[in-house]
Amino acid sequence: MAIKFERVSFQYRGVDDKGYLALADINLSIAAQGEFITLIGETGSGKSTLAQHMNALLAPTEGRVHIFGVKLTSDKKKNRKQRLNPIRQRVGLVFQFPEYQLFEETVLKDIIFGPKNFGVPHEEALERAKKMIQIVGLDESYLERSPFNLSGGEKKRVSIAGILAMEPEILILDEPTSGLDPMGRNALLKVFYDIHEKLGKTVMIITHDMDTVYEYAKRVLVLREGALVYDGEPPGLFSRKHVEDWNLELPEILRIQRALEERFGIRLEKNPTSRKELIEALGEVVM
Amino acid sequence: MNRIVIGRYIPGNSFLYRMDPRTKLIAMILLMVGVFLIQSFLHMFVALALVTLILVFGRLSVKRVYLGLRPLVFLLMFTFLFQVLFNRQGELLYSLALHYTILNLSLAFMVVLLWGFTKRFIRFRLLYFLGAVVGIFALLHSISFGVVLGEGTFAVYEQGLSTAFFIMVRLIIIITLSTILTITTKPTDLNLGLESILRPLRVLRINAEEIAMIIAISLRYIPTLLEEANKIMLAQASRGVDFQEGKLKDKVIQVVSLLVPMFIISFQRSDDLANAMEARSFVPGQERTRLHILRWSKLDTVALACTSLALAGVVLLRVVGW
Repeated sequence: MAIKFERVSFQYRGVDDKGYLALADINLSIAAQGEFITLIGETGSGKSTLAQHMNALLAPTEGRVHIFGVKLTSDKKKNRKQRLNPIRQRVGLVFQFPEYQLFEETVLKDIIFGPKNFGVPHEEALERAKKMIQIVGLDESYLERSPFNLSGGEKKRVSIAGILAMEPEILILDEPTSGLDPMGRNALLKVFYDIHEKLGKTVMIITHDMDTVYEYAKRVLVLREGALVYDGEPPGLFSRKHVEDWNLELPEILRIQRALEERFGIRLEKNPTSRKELIEALGEVVM
Repeated sequence: MNRIVIGRYIPGNSFLYRMDPRTKLIAMILLMVGVFLIQSFLHMFVALALVTLILVFGRLSVKRVYLGLRPLVFLLMFTFLFQVLFNRQGELLYSLALHYTILNLSLAFMVVLLWGFTKRFIRFRLLYFLGAVVGIFALLHSISFGVVLGEGTFAVYEQGLSTAFFIMVRLIIIITLSTILTITTKPTDLNLGLESILRPLRVLRINAEEIAMIIAISLRYIPTLLEEANKIMLAQASRGVDFQEGKLKDKVIQVVSLLVPMFIISFQRSDDLANAMEARSFVPGQERTRLHILRWSKLDTVALACTSLALAGVVLLRVVGW
């Protein structure tokens, strides 16, 4: 297992030493390859805190986190003795609103900033930048532009390209599609899915969008008030009980499928997860 | 961060908390002026005692204010030493012959190095520092053989010592007074009081309301910007910026990678804030109604009378020349 959480709790320290428990007793393991995970939960449920533990930006206040053989505990001195920087290359974390981290004069310089920090030679970093800018759906002409003259969506893509160029083994994205139009959102999700499918990498996406969860995820984690309440496949998540208890919104496709069953008595052979599959399944029934 | 007392409001309910912020501001200024006018040791001690009395009656912990002074100990020591060493007026109180030889200069240098390396393991750092300084002087005084590069004297004069004393006690009193003010007054109240006091400046076409608004907004945005800075630091750390170590060249890039986004965020924030204020019909310079209205009470009159009397007394003493 590449990342392993053992009974991890994390407490933010408050002003009067009254802590705020952001993570409570979390056990979790994530493989270095082949996983596509979505992490959902209400605002303030500890999603971002959990993500920051995964690339050693935060260390647990209780329990242990293992990341590629490095062990993090509440012992700050011991944590500091280990080299944490290599972990951050292997586990790439794209923050929420990554557009704020841009600071270089050109898009190119900003994309190669990460790789060069991790010792990638200049030539190779340039090549990666050219490749990644296309992967996130922009073309090479963007490389010479100033990152501050781009639109919000373009900035977001550029900053994601900057993380991709580090070639992390595990990619974690904190609400990568917020603020994008539906077209841009789908295109970007496709990019992440391709990274997972073609390169076999593990991708974890924090999201509020149940359609993303249902269509793409092979595994879904649900956080509620810092506790991990669900860790399994998406179809199991949307059972009536969970939906009611956790106040979940049903994915579009599932809503349609259930409506078809209830109103028209149409039972589909298998559970579709995307529009395409739904139309195909419906076609089989109608034909 | 929690140990910094200067500029922090700590909830409580003594008479200091019930006073109007205007009174507290004016009283503080009056007392400060008074402290600068005092010229005798005795009066200075009385002033120090009075300030301590204010602390005791205001039910503020003396220890807390002392902790607030701690970051300034270095500054206080520095002014003290500077005065003692370089002010050569008045009677000579003490002198010590110093010999600068290669041997003892290099020994002194080694003492400095030793101090630099070991200071982090010592608990009483200030005492340790003083010990090191005394040690160097002892070295320079006692070893006189070998190649002599020069001679000098370490001399303490009466004037130097007394000036150093006055400056130090004045600084301590001033800092204590302002700490009392900030501990017992919420930033918003302080700001309101400041605005009210500065209002007469309208004659000079200085808009007190605007100044107060600027102060209020900057105070309000300090925590927000700190939070943003923290976020950006984390984001850059996940791109391989190691804020803990690195050579000088790396340090520059680290700072730039933090500062540029911070600038952009601040400008964006101020733009947003300006729009939000305008959307709520804020017009600079226009008369506004208030949620909190300052109320003058008997306590304020008494407090102001007392401080005015204190100042008058000091002025009188100065004029009479006791």
